[in-house]
Amino acid sequence: MDYIYSNSYLSITIFILLGIMLPVAAIEMVSPLISPKKPSKEKSVTYESGILPTGDARVQFNVRYYLFALLFVVFDVETVFLYPWAAAFERLSQYSVFVLIEMTIFIFMLIIGLAYAWKKKVLSW
Amino acid sequence: MNLLELNWGLLAPELTIIILAAVITIADLVMSDKGDRKIFGWVSIVGIVIAIYFTLQQLGSPVEYLLENSYRVDSFGSLFKLIFLVGTGIVFIMSINYIDKEEIPHDGEFYYLLLTALVGAMIMASSADIITLYIGLELLSFSSYIMVGIRKKNLKSNEAAFKYIITGLISSTVFLYGVSFIYGLTGSTNLLVISERLPEAFTNGFDFYVYLGFFMILVGLSYKIAAVPSYMWAPDVYEGAPTPVTAFLAVISKAAGFAIIIRILVTIFVPIVTEYNFADPSQTEFFFFEATTYLAIIAALTMIIGNTMAIFQSNAKRLLALSSVAHAGYILIPLASMKSPLTMSIDISNMIFYLVVYLIMNLGVFTVVTIVNRDADTEDITSFRGLYHRNPLLGVAMSFFLISLAGLPVSAGFIAKFNIFVSAITVKSYWLAGIMVVTSVISYFYYFNIIRQMYMRPGRTEAKLRVSNSLQFVILLAFLGVLLLGIFPNTLLDFIYQNFNLADLFTVGFQR
Repeated sequence: MDYIYSNSYLSITIFILLGIMLPVAAIEMVSPLISPKKPSKEKSVTYESGILPTGDARVQFNVRYYLFALLFVVFDVETVFLYPWAAAFERLSQYSVFVLIEMTIFIFMLIIGLAYAWKKKVLSW
Repeated sequence: MNLLELNWGLLAPELTIIILAAVITIADLVMSDKGDRKIFGWVSIVGIVIAIYFTLQQLGSPVEYLLENSYRVDSFGSLFKLIFLVGTGIVFIMSINYIDKEEIPHDGEFYYLLLTALVGAMIMASSADIITLYIGLELLSFSSYIMVGIRKKNLKSNEAAFKYIITGLISSTVFLYGVSFIYGLTGSTNLLVISERLPEAFTNGFDFYVYLGFFMILVGLSYKIAAVPSYMWAPDVYEGAPTPVTAFLAVISKAAGFAIIIRILVTIFVPIVTEYNFADPSQTEFFFFEATTYLAIIAALTMIIGNTMAIFQSNAKRLLALSSVAHAGYILIPLASMKSPLTMSIDISNMIFYLVVYLIMNLGVFTVVTIVNRDADTEDITSFRGLYHRNPLLGVAMSFFLISLAGLPVSAGFIAKFNIFVSAITVKSYWLAGIMVVTSVISYFYYFNIIRQMYMRPGRTEAKLRVSNSLQFVILLAFLGVLLLGIFPNTLLDFIYQNFNLADLFTVGFQR
């Protein structure tokens, strides 16, 4: 069994090595050998979906994007928990009251989070 | 089995604090921005007193558990919970006086984050499932990260929070990686199931992975107690955090770290036997009592590094941070010098005793530091200059706390250190005891430096230093605690010996 346990690590090691080696081999070793080198002004311009690049590479986001994203994730996770709960509710009928209370507590805690965000004016743009 | 019929009353101490935190969160939202939030602090103290009452009720009852031991009530957990509750209660009194609306705009948050951190610590003490223990650890950690950085406009506070979260996440990763090895060998996250299955895995040739798991868990958790190898965050974080939070990290967070270390290491690794000796069972060799050599090295390095680095500090909070690193080394000694199952119960009792004493004297010191630094507007050691002449009682109390931290007689610190010293000598760990004595002598240098500043250096002013009533109460309480435990240590020691039952760590218990 020890043999098998170590073996699984061996395969992981091989995968990691291959994962590192392949791009290195392709980009650093093979590509310079076979590619023609005729640089021109257009070719060395940054590629941006075929459109001429404009402006600075550094673009500032409003920090509120992150807060919105965070709130979204919270409620996304809530849905992830709610869905299997709702699907399995019938089979959990012997514990129904308990399961209901449990989910109520969970949602209540999340609602506190939403109320907090609301009060702290995270949602106003 | 109906889940509603389970004995949910077992959760009473935790539920009290959780409900309190939820209520304060809502009240904070409803209250106007200008409202005085000191009331939250007082309400929290009342809630903590209720939780202490519930915990005392649970003390002495047989082991009970909920949901396959993911939550359990045993003597070990209850004793630690008392430490956390009392400590956090005192931190609340400090905070009420400390919080300044200018400096900490989110003072409502401060109170309920302290409560959630407390819940995290309590969960860390009373679970036998690694996942639940980890949730408790992260609840404590994440609340602390925010509390450290709660002085939003302060550069040092921000730096401290950043360093703390980075080192914390790295340590959590190492811890989880170590746990994954143990899980791979046993197929369970339940400590009691693991302790049944791990000896078999060990003897079947997986000893390397057991060692790997042991080291990674130890390294990952050493961050919570600020011991070598991950102690580097301590000076910066302690300096940047608001002083009551520093006190919380130094006392409650550290005690919680010790709770989880003892719980996991002892429960999982002690049952592993490397060599049976059927002729003479007392000569049977255990994995854990060989692995404690590495714990001893960690303890020795922690004591040496903490004490020598503290000499060079001129900031009072950095100094106390490194002193608390050194104390983590002292507290590790009983665990590191365990050589047979016979002394384990008394060793762990000694650790708990030291943690209680450490709590009392450290909270005393931090309260005085809060007062003095507020007054002088600097955290430099020079802020203590002339303290004795400005407020003699405060000066005497502070000197006594420092004497106790240094471990000189007639103080509780001496008794606690002496207990540990004797326990190390009786199992013939002479070198560890020697390092403890030598580093303690080194520590006199920096503790007495503060005392010298208080008595022999003229202060900037001779004006009386006023102390608010609640802080006077805390200092009096800590002073009496250090003095009385120094003279009558047996009252507390007997209480711990009576209530701590080592077998609780290994018994499954029952479910009503």
